[in-house]
Amino acid sequence: MAQQRKALWEADLDEEFHDVDLNLAIGNYGQNGLYDDAQPRIDEATLIAVQQQVAQQAALAAIPDPVKRFIVHFHQAVLDNNLAEITVAYESGWNRLTDKFYAKTEWPEAETIAPLVNDDQIFLILYRELYYRHVYSRLQPDIDDRFHSYENSCELFNYLLNSDGPVPLELPEQWLWDIIDEFIYQFQSFCVWRSKVKSKTDEELMLLVDGSQVWSSYSVLNVLYSLIQKSKINEHILALQQGKSKEEINEIVGEYGSRPLYRMLGYFSLIGLLRVHSLLGDFTLALKVMESVELNQKSPFTRVTACHVTTYYYVGFCYIMLQRYPDAIRAFVSILNFILRMRQYHTRSYQYDQINKTADRMYALFAICNALSPSRVDDNILNVVKERYGEQLAKMSRGEEGLPAFEELFLYACPKFISANPPPYEEAELLQAYIEDPPVEPAQRHLSLFLNDVRAKLPVPTLRSFLKLYTSLDASKLANFLDADEEEMVQQLMVMKQASRSISRVENEKGLLGGQTISTSDLDFVIDVNMVNIAESTVGRRYAGWFIRNTEHAQRVLDTLRNTPLPSFKPAAPTAATPIKDPNASAPANPPRTGGQRVAWGGVKAA
Amino acid sequence: MSTAAAWATPPTRTELIENLVSGVDRYNPSNVGILEDYLYHQIRSEEYDCLANLAIVKLYQFNPDLYNPDVVINILIKALTSTPFPDFNLCISLLDDRPANTNPDEPDPLPSLLPVITELHNLLQQCRFPAFWKLYRSERAESLRDNYTVECVGFEDAVRRVVVQTVKAAFKRIGSDRLSTYLNLTGDDLAAYVEKLGWTLDSSSGVISIPPNPDNQIESTVVQENIQLSQLVKVIAHSQVA
Repeated sequence: MAQQRKALWEADLDEEFHDVDLNLAIGNYGQNGLYDDAQPRIDEATLIAVQQQVAQQAALAAIPDPVKRFIVHFHQAVLDNNLAEITVAYESGWNRLTDKFYAKTEWPEAETIAPLVNDDQIFLILYRELYYRHVYSRLQPDIDDRFHSYENSCELFNYLLNSDGPVPLELPEQWLWDIIDEFIYQFQSFCVWRSKVKSKTDEELMLLVDGSQVWSSYSVLNVLYSLIQKSKINEHILALQQGKSKEEINEIVGEYGSRPLYRMLGYFSLIGLLRVHSLLGDFTLALKVMESVELNQKSPFTRVTACHVTTYYYVGFCYIMLQRYPDAIRAFVSILNFILRMRQYHTRSYQYDQINKTADRMYALFAICNALSPSRVDDNILNVVKERYGEQLAKMSRGEEGLPAFEELFLYACPKFISANPPPYEEAELLQAYIEDPPVEPAQRHLSLFLNDVRAKLPVPTLRSFLKLYTSLDASKLANFLDADEEEMVQQLMVMKQASRSISRVENEKGLLGGQTISTSDLDFVIDVNMVNIAESTVGRRYAGWFIRNTEHAQRVLDTLRNTPLPSFKPAAPTAATPIKDPNASAPANPPRTGGQRVAWGGVKAA
Repeated sequence: MSTAAAWATPPTRTELIENLVSGVDRYNPSNVGILEDYLYHQIRSEEYDCLANLAIVKLYQFNPDLYNPDVVINILIKALTSTPFPDFNLCISLLDDRPANTNPDEPDPLPSLLPVITELHNLLQQCRFPAFWKLYRSERAESLRDNYTVECVGFEDAVRRVVVQTVKAAFKRIGSDRLSTYLNLTGDDLAAYVEKLGWTLDSSSGVISIPPNPDNQIESTVVQENIQLSQLVKVIAHSQVA
């Protein structure tokens, strides 16, 4: 049954499908002839369609009334472009009904509910978008689901990109982000599923041979690049940075880019590209496509928290793969602090779990960076890392035996890497060879490259611990301590020197790839023939943040006290201010003792 | 100055290449020839453009039919001499699931050469320069030398530039014997090379002095807290109100 219904589906789509290659952006290389064979199946399909109609009427009758009402209401909200109503339906209604009726089964098929929405094709596409997302997140998608969700995404993007002019649709930003996010997730999920040859049934193998262009890297990139071009989002961001007025910007970005729907889809597609390129192992290109984006929390595009978090995760990860640890650390610190601050508002959001998981992976990545390039950027974050990954953190500074800790954290926290190409399904012989001698999994490949770099730097922590004890030391003596050959040890010192320098972005530099060489270590040394001279930079204790916070806190307490009327008699309130005022003025300049405890920025929470 | 911007956009890159590297045309398989020609231009004229070369490997990643092992080997050789920057790994990252070699008439030279190139890269990365030269001159690397690096103009000098970058960051003065093993140069060659760098050789002691640069000048410092007025604005403003 499912098989035959598929034929109908393809027949319906046939004409539109030839437009789906979205060749606006990067061309349809090797994707022709996709659905050529659908035509002869139509007659058979028509017959089945009649039978199906009967079945569908029965199915419609079986849908619970609250769900029917919800769908009708949802449809109306979309028709009216009523963002508030759509948001309610999207963020709470759908999830509530899912929990109640569809926790373990699919939502009704789009064809079944079509009569409820006057067969509104656009709404049905949006409905299927939710339908398949539900299948992916709560159930096990089968091959039909995977193929159909791809077709539905194509239809959606086809509608958005290839209609006559911009479409009059409006959707909440969160949903727009979810559309792009889910599109890439399904692509990644398909690639992983596709690469597992052994578990495929004969039918699946056949479909995979035919549908070799379904979820191809080219088609996914095409969608993202097309949305970026259509919305002129790069031009838009540039214009914003130049301080152009709203009218000027609208002039620049044209009829598509001036609409929120296209503007946001364009921006989310940039982040989508960052993610897809990272998944495919192209870390330079991933950062390069973000060239015009300024990473800060004031941009008008950062209202969707999930998008914001994703951006920093992938940017940080790419920096790790470029061995730019200070930049990676900065990215993680910035977003992890953001998440800590946001926590109080977000605990009930349905994305909270997802954000928390990503945050935890970023703490793990931070631990890796900190082991490779120790710094005291943010004690607050470092404390959380010590709490969660203290054991690994300790191991990672112990040379050879620390390697498993690097491996463990990397595999836990890295993106779900994919291969660009499917196994050779179309050639039985090659496929057999593939099964017998499968290629190394993408995550393992990237891990081994990463570990190569780690391995090169393994001697550094030990050398460092020795050098810390001296201001000058003879190389032969140091070699003796380490029980190493002097020449080899000198070469390791050069590695240490290299590890203490890194490319890092400097303030206000454009683009994420730019940067200058900076020194990342507080311990520096130079070799004078055979004498190692060592110098250490120390950071003085930091008081200001603590005092400023507490002064402000004291002021708030005082204000509250003052504004609270005493119940019985009239107080001479203003005099109370005098003794407090004095420490206000002098505290930052003249700090009292703090019991020797190290307190840094943000170390103490001002409630 | 080794800025990353010059790495991302070398001044020698032409507009045509820039459009390919930065635009969506980079995905068009028919442009692979232009990029490959540009690579061979880099090989002949001691230029280097990592992003353009990555664009070639990217096209190979998406279109396995285009795969040309000679080009890949040349790209890796170029990336080798950009150590300690991670270019080599970045290229390898994209060389994933290549299809098994199906044509027995034209054996793919990469599988046999890749271990050697990778080992050379690891040695450079670990600053084990004498070991690098030993392997490079060995029989194992013969095919690499005779078929590839010999075509790559200035390859050995490019390796020496990697050495020089590292040495001048770590040393104020270095014994000429030691430097000789790092650069794989002896006697007059070494003296001439050192002179060209502007370093000075004290012939009686055999010690070479390296001019001061930001990395071989060390200094102990104490970083003091620096409080900006803006941090105190709230406190001061409030005390005015009170």
